Amino acid sequence: MDNVLTVRGLKKSYGTQTALAGIDFEVRPGEVFALIGPNGAGKTTTLRIVATLLTSSGGDITFLGRDLRKEPEFVREKISYLPEEAGAYKNMKGMDYLHFMANFYARNPEEEKAFVDRAVAITELGDRLKTKVGTYSKGMTRKILLARALMTKPVLAILDEPTSGLDVLNALEVREIVRRYVKEGTSVLLSSHNMLEIEFLSDRVGLIDKGRMLDSGTPQELKEKHLAKNLEEVFRSSLR
Amino acid sequence: MKRFTNLLKKEIKELVTIQLVISLAFTLLLFNFIGQVSKKEVQKAIGVQTISTLDLDGSAASQALLKGLESARFKILDQSGKTKEQAIETAKAGDSKLLLVIPAGFGDSLQELRPSEIETYSFMRSFSLIGARGQVVVRGVISALNEALSNNFLKERLPELDPQSLKNPIKSKDYVVVKDRMAEGSAGMVAGLISQQSLLIPVVLMMIVIYSSQMVISAVAMEKQNKTLETLLTVPIRRTSIITAKMLAAGLVGLISAAIYMFGFKSFVGGLGEEAAQAGAQTGGATLMRQLGLTFDTTGYFILGLSLFLAILVALALAMILGVLAEDFRSAQNMIMPLMFMVMIPYFISLFADINTVSLPIKIFILAIPFSHPFLVSQNIYLGNYGMIAGGLVYMLVIFAVLVVFAARIFSTDKILTMKLRFGRKRAAAA
Repeated sequence: MDNVLTVRGLKKSYGTQTALAGIDFEVRPGEVFALIGPNGAGKTTTLRIVATLLTSSGGDITFLGRDLRKEPEFVREKISYLPEEAGAYKNMKGMDYLHFMANFYARNPEEEKAFVDRAVAITELGDRLKTKVGTYSKGMTRKILLARALMTKPVLAILDEPTSGLDVLNALEVREIVRRYVKEGTSVLLSSHNMLEIEFLSDRVGLIDKGRMLDSGTPQELKEKHLAKNLEEVFRSSLR
Repeated sequence: MKRFTNLLKKEIKELVTIQLVISLAFTLLLFNFIGQVSKKEVQKAIGVQTISTLDLDGSAASQALLKGLESARFKILDQSGKTKEQAIETAKAGDSKLLLVIPAGFGDSLQELRPSEIETYSFMRSFSLIGARGQVVVRGVISALNEALSNNFLKERLPELDPQSLKNPIKSKDYVVVKDRMAEGSAGMVAGLISQQSLLIPVVLMMIVIYSSQMVISAVAMEKQNKTLETLLTVPIRRTSIITAKMLAAGLVGLISAAIYMFGFKSFVGGLGEEAAQAGAQTGGATLMRQLGLTFDTTGYFILGLSLFLAILVALALAMILGVLAEDFRSAQNMIMPLMFMVMIPYFISLFADINTVSLPIKIFILAIPFSHPFLVSQNIYLGNYGMIAGGLVYMLVIFAVLVVFAARIFSTDKILTMKLRFGRKRAAAA
């Protein structure tokens, strides 16, 4: 089966500063591929380029067999992106926000309703969706944003630090939701510096540092290769 | 189109907040209130006013002066029998705005054609211009009396001559020529009427530009501050549609806000201006303007409307770019300043200088500001400078196109996320 996303020699510079020095990876259908690395490693830049927010300085990205750079609008139809520091419109009620976002993807009212129903189920916020987003806690906001990202069952969900700033229970819930949607066919490209989260969520992992891909593989493969007990040790070993 | 409508509706809802509605309603009420108060004050000032008089002469001439004041709608409170000091104290304690003291020997002086003095004491209980109107009217009455007395004297001594011809042997008949039309009137009057007619244009333009630009700058800055911009940029909608939706929403809401503001402003000005308007009509200003062809026809209004519309588009496109440069809502408030200056510069220059007579560098500077052109449109229509009008319209259209292309380019590239106007420090864009 063809890859959903294939990234080859991806480069990105901001003036004289190099953010990505040529990285390769691919996301296969129905898998969770995670980029792990310290702050400033280039994870968010990679995700932003794949999400069509930034343009690359070099390299190739193919999404469903099409050149991402040439057809960004095709890509936007099929992906959803959850930034690390995302927010929702504070003056909108939760339900209105979901309808507003669903409207961009739905081809008819029935489809819009199906998207919103799915999002309502993901958030489990019930009547709170009738109140303004500005009154939500951080956990509630993150859940509605995740629901927005998954409600359309995108081909590829790009999630930047999906559990960032959440407490243990909320983070666990978010991870379970992501796993559930992967089973339904959505591929996921995510980033995190929480190695334990990655081990629980990911099918395959890419270790990234200073804009370079250090290693990639399944968590099990990497642990065996680096004779490590967990991904944190794998990362330390690959840095040497 | 469905996606565009979806976004446009959201943009309008974001802009029409309860705060905006309350602020507009408050402005409207405030202007209306001030207008009503001013109207009452004006009516009071032009209505019957009470003045005190102390006639220490009691001659036929002094009686004629007081009769003249009565016919000028003054209510006279006679203080006869009092000393000057007592009359001043009485008038001060009462409602009188003015005390008129006619000294003894007033009539005799006039008979002997010696200059005679009367004294006026104005009681200033406030410093408004309307409050000081009483003294102006008294001066008018005295002047009329002076005129009548000197005429009588001249008629007595030189019955075969017209007193007016004696007093003003040189007379002028003024004509104004505009292009190929000529009419009797003064150039000062024409200039005054034109500036009165054109007064509303800069006010309208400033209001709309400021309201709309503020809204579009805030709309972009708020997306950044609330961290919603990145999500919006990854949904399946064209970047040009995002720009258009934001500009259209801000334009519509700005236009409505400005219209409400103008309505309030009109009711405020209406309180003060009705009398002046009546006076203008009486002096034949309208006829003079018609004779000189200085009136707007449908085409004139269309050109003026088009010019204002293009200026608003330019402001919106510029505001969109400034909004991208702003980091958050607070810095967006500062971004409006350059735009306001660009509107105010041509306004102030047009108040004090004539664009056609200023030096070339200043002329180029003024014409380079797109917002100058709506200010110049009305006088160019009157003077038939259609080349200048067309040039202005084309210039604004070109500037708008350039700005939109630039804004679209910013929105289509990394710049929408990386471009910031920061003072002093730099932050790495890479995560």
